[in-house]
Order: sequence, then structure tokens, then C-alpha cells
Amino acid sequence: MSIGGSDLDRAIHQLRSCRPIPENQVRELCYKARELLIEEGNVVGVDAPVTICGDIHGQFHDLMELFRVGGDVPDTNYLFMGDFVDRGFYSLESFLLLLCLKVRYPDRITLIRGNHESRQITTVYGFYDECLRKYGSANVWRYCCEVFDYLALGALVTGAATSLSPTDAPLAENANIECPPDSDELEIETLNAAGEIMSRCARGYDGQSVSQPTSNPPSSSPVPTPSRTGPAGTGATSSSGGSLGNDSGAILCVHGGLSPLIDTIDKIRLLDRKQEVPHEGAMCDLLWSDPDEIDGWGLSPRGAGFLFGADIVKCFNQKNNLSLIARAHQLVMEGFKEMFDSTIVTVWSAPNYCYRCGNVAAILELGEDGSNAGYVRRSNGDQGGGGGGWILGSNVGPNGGAGNANGNRRLSSVLGERAREGPGRRYRVFDAAPQDSRGMPAKKPVADYFL
Amino acid sequence: MSAQQIPDLRTLLGRGRGGGLRARGRGRGDTGASHQDREALRDNAVKGTDQDAAGSRVSCVELGYLHDPYAKLFATQSSTRRLPLLNRGTYVRTTAIDLLIDKFITTSPDSPKQIVSLGAGTDTRFFRICEAYPGVDLSYHEIDFPANTAAKLASIRRHPLLFTKLTSGPPLSLEPTATSYHSPMYNIHALDLRSLASPPDDTPLPTLPHLDPSLPTLILSEMCLIYLHTSTVASILSTFLETYIPAPTPLALVLYEPILPNDAFGRTMTSNLATRNIQLPTMSAYPELADQRQRLKGYGFVDGFEAENTNNIWRDWVSDEEKDRVAGLEMLDELEELEMLLSHYCIAWGWRDGGAAGVFTMAWGDTQEQDG
Repeated sequence: MSIGGSDLDRAIHQLRSCRPIPENQVRELCYKARELLIEEGNVVGVDAPVTICGDIHGQFHDLMELFRVGGDVPDTNYLFMGDFVDRGFYSLESFLLLLCLKVRYPDRITLIRGNHESRQITTVYGFYDECLRKYGSANVWRYCCEVFDYLALGALVTGAATSLSPTDAPLAENANIECPPDSDELEIETLNAAGEIMSRCARGYDGQSVSQPTSNPPSSSPVPTPSRTGPAGTGATSSSGGSLGNDSGAILCVHGGLSPLIDTIDKIRLLDRKQEVPHEGAMCDLLWSDPDEIDGWGLSPRGAGFLFGADIVKCFNQKNNLSLIARAHQLVMEGFKEMFDSTIVTVWSAPNYCYRCGNVAAILELGEDGSNAGYVRRSNGDQGGGGGGWILGSNVGPNGGAGNANGNRRLSSVLGERAREGPGRRYRVFDAAPQDSRGMPAKKPVADYFL
Repeated sequence: MSAQQIPDLRTLLGRGRGGGLRARGRGRGDTGASHQDREALRDNAVKGTDQDAAGSRVSCVELGYLHDPYAKLFATQSSTRRLPLLNRGTYVRTTAIDLLIDKFITTSPDSPKQIVSLGAGTDTRFFRICEAYPGVDLSYHEIDFPANTAAKLASIRRHPLLFTKLTSGPPLSLEPTATSYHSPMYNIHALDLRSLASPPDDTPLPTLPHLDPSLPTLILSEMCLIYLHTSTVASILSTFLETYIPAPTPLALVLYEPILPNDAFGRTMTSNLATRNIQLPTMSAYPELADQRQRLKGYGFVDGFEAENTNNIWRDWVSDEEKDRVAGLEMLDELEELEMLLSHYCIAWGWRDGGAAGVFTMAWGDTQEQDG
């Protein structure tokens, strides 16, 4: 049979209730998805508004919770940054549902590749076994792996607004508000799953007049208290400075991070991506690397990809006219974590990861800038950016030591002023779907703990 | 489908699926079950943890983390490959305890020593020690529920690799239903550990054949005492400290247990294990490493009381060369999770030497520990 039109809607309906579709439909779906994905470049262009999501890892019920919190497809545009499969019990249903939605609404949902979308990794971390268990053969796993090879490596979001229009949502208990009462220039807003405001931060607002230690989400959320001044999970400080504008630089979305072999986005576009994730090289790095509090590049303890520091991110963003890199790949207990003066953010969308970690999840909403929608900024020309210069972290001096005033000045002259105002960022934080509704397998899962 | 049409899964709580709470209660025996039923369920769950551990050990052996030809002889489950982070955790746990025990055995190697393994289950340590230290003068005791000891003895009878460690002659001649085994070198005591807690009346304590009150003794609790109530644990240990191995005989305790029950990971651990009927009473009593140290001191292990989480133990106790070897065995992607998991388990070790230059001070006095 062919899958399309009403068949596709039926498949979506069936997958939404967490029931796998027959093998011949999977084959057809994967074929159609490949036809679609082959047309996409290595870096997909995406217009704001869009909701950016991190790792899912087969936690199907939590994916449904994500859609409930963030809005359903096609009403909300989504960009998923990979790691759809492995670890959770429902990799198959989660990935196939996302793939169905991609085929059904190709302009509404973007899927890019994570390091788990790989033959080698899925044989260790569960997706292969799950396919074998649910279909009795490895065919479905093979079809899915063929799709993995065609997934884009990154996405470039343009047309995002630099500020959020404030919602009139109610305040959550212990909300942390760092902006003047009449501010209409919000930089960051964090909402809980009930849509209540957990924190708000205005651009350039000096938050000193606001009582500090209240950056706790509602007490029901198991979120550790961040030690920084901004809202939970953000690196926002009162020094982010700058003038108000309404064109944000573009936002690069990639699963892992940067590569020492890639200094421009155009170099990503030149890669031959239609293959298994290699063990090394630029494509591997994009899917495996992590930002870290170091200078320059470092070896990754994961054995693949690299660690990269604030200086690398700032140079890359400046050179490529980016205001932000959004990436996933690392579990963060608060669901999201901004680093390096909010030049990079980790978004994690698998709550209570592996049904064990107790973390919350987040998605990142970028609003549309009405005056600048769809305008693709590609020049590396002069930066009309913000007012204040860099406030450099003490660890990013160019000499590898603690940044002295001299070093800071030199780095500042290399980087120029801050390239772009970051986009306005609305984070929605959510907990795991309740256990009782999961239909957890009756059979005892593998050893979760050391007993 | 719009977002409003997506069911809020929370609203499904308590209805559907045949009656929510009531159905769940029946399934687990939590509701309406008598106190004895609940206790029996919990005991069975605890007995079941042993095969879980055995399976994890086999997974580690098959992938080359650990050398242990005996592990698979005891495992009843067909081998399940565990996730890399669990293999790494099992490796760290086993290696850390091996290190403490090796230091104990090799300190004054010619003087006789004693090890008591609580809730030993299918642990292979005795057989591994025999292999590593042939001719060692050691009296080894294991204590566990009769159901577990019977299964262990059955495995020993079946496999020459095991029974030849116990006898140079023919296979062990034991009743097929035997639950205990006694010899000068190796003893399996089939008893409920709780019977070693001081009885309220004057019921005599069980006799532990071949347990020598004068030999320097190491008590090992690898995920065992954690399942008992705090006061019961204190009482069992005081039985050892005062009755079975009274001062001035050197006596030490090595614990492997989870810690940090109050953060998000710890709370999730507690509730996940509760769904398997596994409770960890002492975890909340000794939540931090500092509590574990004070606990050891409080029991009477006053000459040394140390604790370290297994994340730091991996970092500090394992050589770089060995780290490279282990890291090369499996691709390990889940680094943040590994760190979190390992930091929620600790090794705690304390001792009473009854003298300045006791065997444990010599063995462990310089063992690395970071303040945590």
C-alpha cells in the first residue's frame, strides 16, 4: 500500500496512541521521508516563529506532553535537534510519529540529526533491540537508519524577534521578575507547564533592585537553584547591555556543537552528509561536541567530537552573523542552560531522562519579528550591534590565563562589539508525563540501579 | 488535532485502567494487605536484588570490564548486556571494594584474617580471592536468606570450577536441600540477618560456626544493610562489635550504598525502587558522605571512618592506564548521567584497630579520600 493523504493521517492517529504501524507502512513512510529530506540542504533554513526542542530519546509520553505544552503540529512550528531514539521504551513510536508529521507537514516541522541517529549507537542503546522486539526482524530498524542518513546536520533560524511581547499569563509561585513593571522589551521568559510565568528578564535591565534569591521555579518542580543572577537555566546577567533593536542575528541549531574543521556555516553546507555518522571529522563533531568552560578546543571525554570554549563560540557567532547557537546533546537538570553570555544554549526535552534522572525538560520558543520576517542575513559585513562591549569571563583571556584587562581589550578588538542582540527567548519547562498514564511495560525493565 | 485536544495525561490519574489507585494497590499488595504480607513482599524484592546484581556482574565480565570466570556460574538469568553506564558503575563498585580487600589481605600476609560478607548472595569474591591468593590464611563467611544460599550451594555443587576451591577431594557431599555450608575456610550461613539484631527477649544469638572472635575481621555490606531499618542495622553491627568479634580484635566495615536521597535524582531513585517494593531506610538516615563517616564512628569504628562517592573513586583510585583500558571497552555516550549516577553511590569504610599499629590502619591509613 502507499502511504499518503488519509493513510498518513491514519498512521499519525495510530502512532499518537503509541501503537506502532505495520512494517510495510514504515517502509513506505521512510521512502517518502527520504525523498523529502534529500531535497533539504545540510543546513535547513527555518523562519521564526519556531519552537526548538532537544533530545527526546524514545520517551513517547513525554513527547506528547511536549506537544501539549508547546502546541500541536501544525499549529506550532517545531525544530527537533535530534536524538529521537534510544534509551526510552518507545523510540520507534516517537521517531515514526515525528517522521509522519514531517511527511504530512514538511514546512511545519524540521528534524535534524543527533548522534544517536546512527546504526552503531542504536545497536548499543536500545533502538535496534526495540525494533527487533516489536517487529521480529531488523527491517524497520534498517529503514529508519536509511532515513537517519538523510537528516540535515543543522538548521538556521532567521527572522526571530529580539524581544518577546509579554504574555498576560499569571505568575507562578515564587516567580522571579527582573524587569520594570511596564517593560515591553522582554529578553527571556520562562513558563511552567501550566503556562504560568516562572521568571522574566528584560533586556539590559539592571536587576539589582529586584530581590535576588527567588529564582526558584515552583516548589513542585525538582529544579536545583542556579547560582547565577539570571532566571533558572539562563546565563543572563544585568550586564548584557546594548541598544534595543528588532532584528536578531540568525540562530544556528545543531545537535552537539562546533567543529575545529568548521569556521563558517557554508563549510557545513559543503559536507557529504548522506552516510553513517563517521567516527571523526566535521560531521561527527557537529553531532558530538560540547561547550565547556575552557579556552579554545579540548578533547571530549565522550571519545568523539571536541569540547569548545566561549572564545570559540563568540568568534564563530561573530563571523557567521549569529546571535545564538541552540544545541541539545547534554542532560541539563533545569531543562535548558545558557552559557557564555547567552551566546549558546543547551535545550533538553526529555524530562526525567531514562525514567531515572529526575530532571525537568524545556523547549525554546522564538517569536517572529514582523518587520523582518524571512529575511536571510548572509553578509559578514559590519555589525550594527549593541552598545556595551563584551564583559568577558575571567577564563577567556587569549593568553590562556585569567583574563587581565589587557587581554580583554585585545580579545574585544578581535571580536568587535557584540555581533547581535540575541533573540527573545521563551522557555517552557515541563515535567515528565505521569507514570500511571505511560503504560509502562509490565515486564520489569533492565537494571536501573546498582542493587 | 490542536493542542487543546491533546489529553492532559495528568487527568487520567486515578481513573480508567480498571480503577486507578485501587487496581494499582491490588497489583502491588499495598492496599489492604496485612503488615506481614507487605513485609514478605519486601523480603522477596530484596532477595530478588541478588540476581539483578549477578546479571550486572556477568555483563561486565563478558565485555571485559572485570575478570571473573565464576560470575556466570551463579547467574540464573540468561546474560543481559547492561548499558555502558551500568557496566562502568559495576566496574567501579567491584574494583573499589577489591582494592580495600586486597590491601587488607596483603597487610601482614602471613597472619590469619577473616571476612564476613553480609547478604553475599551470588557474590564470587571468595572464589576470586582463592584464585588471586592461593594458600591465603583466610576464614570467609557469607550470610544470606536460605533461599539465596540454597541456590548458591546448588551452583557450587554443579560446577567443578567452584567446588574444587572448597575441597581437594570429590564434589561436596551435601544434602540437595542444604542451605548452609561450613568449613574452616569457607562458610555459608543461611539466616535472616535481622536475627543478629539484639533480640528483645533473651533469645540466644545464632551461632556462626568457624567465626573466630580473635581474627582481624572485615565486614562487607555491598547493597545489603541499606535494606534494613536504621536501628536494626545498628543492632546487628553492635552484635559483631561486642559479641562475635569483641574488642580488642581489629574489626572493619566496608559499605557500598546509595546516597543523596534528597535531590531530584535521589528522589526519583527512591520512588522508582519503591515501585519494585524496595525500600532504602538507611539512605535517608545518612544522606551525605559526612553522615556516612559519622555513622561509622558512631557504631564504634573509631580508628578510621572514611567515605567517598564512586564518581570520585573512579577519578582518584583508578590508574590512567586502567581508565583508558576501561573507556576503550564500550563507547559511553551518557556522561552527564554517569557522573550523576556514580555520585549517588558511595563506598564507606571504617575500622576499630584496638591499638596504634593495627592491621586496618596499616592497610587503609593512606587510602585516598577527598572531602566531599
